[in-house]
Amino acid sequence: MHSTNRFKSLIRQGTSMISLIRSEIYKISKQSKTLYAIAAILIIEGFVIMSAYYQGAGIIDLLLDNLKDSFEFRGNLLNGNLIIYLILNSLWFHIPLILMIIISGFLTSEYKDKTIETVMLQPVNKFYFILSKYIVSIAFTLLIVLILAVSTFFISYWIFGYGDLVVYLDGLNFFKSDDAFYRLINAFLSGSITMIFFSVVSLTLAVVLKDATKTWIVAAIFLICSNLLLKIDFNNDIINELFFSKLTDSWQYFFYYEIPYSTIYFKNLLLLGYSVLVMIIGILIFKRRDIQ
Amino acid sequence: MKRIYFLLVMLASLNFISGQEIDSDLVLIKQRLDSIKSYEALIKLDVDISFINMPSKYGKVKYKQGESTKVTSQDFIMLPKRGLDLTLNELFQHPFITLDRGEDKHKDVICKVINLIPTSSKSDFSIATIFMDTKAKRIVKSEISTKMEGVFTTSLDYKNDVDVLPRAIEVQFAVNSIKIPLRFLGKETEVDRKAIKQEGSKSGKIFLTLSEVQIAR
Repeated sequence: MHSTNRFKSLIRQGTSMISLIRSEIYKISKQSKTLYAIAAILIIEGFVIMSAYYQGAGIIDLLLDNLKDSFEFRGNLLNGNLIIYLILNSLWFHIPLILMIIISGFLTSEYKDKTIETVMLQPVNKFYFILSKYIVSIAFTLLIVLILAVSTFFISYWIFGYGDLVVYLDGLNFFKSDDAFYRLINAFLSGSITMIFFSVVSLTLAVVLKDATKTWIVAAIFLICSNLLLKIDFNNDIINELFFSKLTDSWQYFFYYEIPYSTIYFKNLLLLGYSVLVMIIGILIFKRRDIQ
Repeated sequence: MKRIYFLLVMLASLNFISGQEIDSDLVLIKQRLDSIKSYEALIKLDVDISFINMPSKYGKVKYKQGESTKVTSQDFIMLPKRGLDLTLNELFQHPFITLDRGEDKHKDVICKVINLIPTSSKSDFSIATIFMDTKAKRIVKSEISTKMEGVFTTSLDYKNDVDVLPRAIEVQFAVNSIKIPLRFLGKETEVDRKAIKQEGSKSGKIFLTLSEVQIAR
């Protein structure tokens, strides 16, 4: 009898959770900021493609300048794979910044419009409410990265075609077209974990700060500091390997000539751990705080 | 055949003008190479430069007498500026004199060593050292100091004692290392050319392996 009640309770909680997630998805789909996020991504893509179209040959020329004395080159390096790689590099700053602004708005707009008070007047569990926000934020992040990846691959190959990829990372690394495709796909997958981390951080910042402008400023500072800290050598192996900012570049490791898979797995797993930790902190703060 | 006579006449006249002997073994080797009307082969390229990581590249090499050697590939390839002139046409393009430098060993083969010194300002090299296997009538090593592109050292390996074309070619040269972040967005796009040039030069090698060689005489 006791177990049956518990089972019914679990079913109720599950149904409530699904309803909350559906409600969050509905809200996002109706908000104009979702369209702004997609538009921003397409604009970034457009800028990179445009600059590559006009300056790409010059940059490649400069890159191979020192080799021109000894070599003659056959083939085209300004191709779709290079453009995808350049757009992929927007995962350093542009894409996480857009995601952090949009995702923090999922909660701050509820505070601003006071819709959160209306929701809390309903028989809604605070834990499920904020958990559904986190789940939908992660799904939204994955959707944005997917849109970025699909549109990038499609447009880049369509305009610039296929070819070998050249990347400057600890030297000039050349990859054959099919190998480049494999590396780029995996870099997007790995990069989505980094994007999830920044999205979760931005939602937690929204939980703490409530105000949209404050959250945007702190989120931008967090992203800038994270990028700066990534480049700093702390002269300590533990900090250099375990500190969160040192884990956000795993996607870039796919462009080393020999892919260091173990490093990539380690960084991604640890970053997922950090994401869960930040999410738990956000949930605990939200649960303990009164909605005013 | 007309071409060979022309070459002999040209070399003789050069000899008359300059008063210097053109090495007879070099003339014999050139005659042998000139018997090749055309050739085709599959080519594999491997690069050994400290700051370049590149997988093996494959292509096709085609040569037709009177034309320059052509290499085609579906991939992006880097070809050395010297080393593909297997018929020595580039060296013989402008008049030169030869100097006998005696004998030297190259890969256990006693070779006759000569210097080629161009007598025309049009020539793109300032001096070349040629190691000749006089028994097999072929060149096994060359060091060409070009006017603009540095020094190229080419080592040629043959499959057997009779082949006229090599199966493996190793080209060594000096290259400047580079440090350029490849990003179009952001401040990293700025590149200090001067700093790059000042980094100094490193030695690089490229290995060319020929297979399925088809020669038409």
